[in-house]
Amino acid sequence: MDVAEIILVFSSNTKILNAEDLLEEKNLPFILVPVPKEVNPNCGLAISFLESDRDLILPVLEAADLMPAAAYRRAGDLFSVWPLVH
Amino acid sequence: MIYFDNAATSFPKPVAVIEAVVAALKAPASPGRSGHTPSLEASRTVHRARKAVTKIFGLSDNSRLVFTPNVSWAINAALSGLGLERGDHVLSGALEHNSTARPLARLVKEIGLDWEVVPPRDGAMVASDFAARLRPQTKLVVLNHASNVSGALAPALEIKEVVGEIPLLLDAAQTAGAIPMTDYGSKIDLLAFTGHKGLQGPTGTGGLWVRPGLELRPLAVGGSGSRSESLEHPDFLPDALETGTANTHGLAGLAAGVEWVLATGVEAIRAREEQLTTNFLEKVAGIDGIQLFGPGLGGGQRVSTVSFNLSGWSSSDLAAALEKNYGIMARAGLHCAPLTHQHLGTFPGGSVRFSFGPQNTVSEVIIAADALNELALARRN
Repeated sequence: MDVAEIILVFSSNTKILNAEDLLEEKNLPFILVPVPKEVNPNCGLAISFLESDRDLILPVLEAADLMPAAAYRRAGDLFSVWPLVH
Repeated sequence: MIYFDNAATSFPKPVAVIEAVVAALKAPASPGRSGHTPSLEASRTVHRARKAVTKIFGLSDNSRLVFTPNVSWAINAALSGLGLERGDHVLSGALEHNSTARPLARLVKEIGLDWEVVPPRDGAMVASDFAARLRPQTKLVVLNHASNVSGALAPALEIKEVVGEIPLLLDAAQTAGAIPMTDYGSKIDLLAFTGHKGLQGPTGTGGLWVRPGLELRPLAVGGSGSRSESLEHPDFLPDALETGTANTHGLAGLAAGVEWVLATGVEAIRAREEQLTTNFLEKVAGIDGIQLFGPGLGGGQRVSTVSFNLSGWSSSDLAAALEKNYGIMARAGLHCAPLTHQHLGTFPGGSVRFSFGPQNTVSEVIIAADALNELALARRN
């Protein structure tokens, strides 16, 4: 089974760079990736992490008021909207 | 060369600034425009500048710090973006630079803005004089934090306190990096700054802090790297007010400049510049025929800019003689601040200005004071 990847898209470049600073500071597992054109026509970057790391990443972003504008789940070539709130 | 024109632009720039600009020029620079690694690095460069400036002003949210080509652009973005209307009342200080006075004068002419200038007392702005002029129609207070002619420092935080909820637009062109300002971010509504003076960066850099709750209509719209699918310009900061590709090369230098200021210590810079200014004022006070403008020794708050005239000399001839005979770079004339010179009584002839920076030395100040003494004697004999 493919490991699902979560893609967080932010409203601005500044927000994503603040999120990068924060997640790096806390040594959390993530990478920056180009925003997949399948989900968003913008030319910026997104934060990507494994779905299994959800509880490591999201609370940190939420506490810093750095929640993304949208989130997507990628499993292979399939993308779906990923609910930020359970 | 003895460089005393730091109020125009600081010199020499720290080596780290030069190296940062050169390094940025050696890489592709399209911040926020592409997903590839060089574009990301360019974004990080701009972000580094944003974080450094955020720190020096104690700002609460770096996304509300907008980079502009210079402080004049930042002031224009604020004045044109607030949606001022006919009959709105705006108070300003009397020691404003043309970067503020001209856009205000244009608004008076074009939309019927009611612009009132608060006169100085003994060359300085007084907070209670602003409070006394507030009206129900007052929409904005504009203040030059320090005069680029006399060096007089305005009590900006005190003025903000007395004007209450009315937004204060502060022109920090002469103070950013020169006086400690980490408590300004939480109090000042609109803070406009330049990058190439006290912050030690290259020209072509500057910006505007917009406090949460204030919305500005963009002066220009266009490319932002965000919301590419829409023909509407983004409405979120900083993108809303940062139109077109950022000056990545300049901002690389600004980041290094502000980091240099932070590492040196703003308090240490302030102390050094105060020492240079005091030494100069002490040395020249006894020169026969010198007329000094602005706060004197022990007479009020000031930055390290001093203005003077010497009897028998026009300001332009004196500045030319200082360069030709002594290698001293000064600025003569009206310094883009005719209102200030009117209040000082030096309009239209102007004055000669020395503005000391953190890399000037006491011995340079002594050489300059001796030069003025010789030039005073030359015209008297």
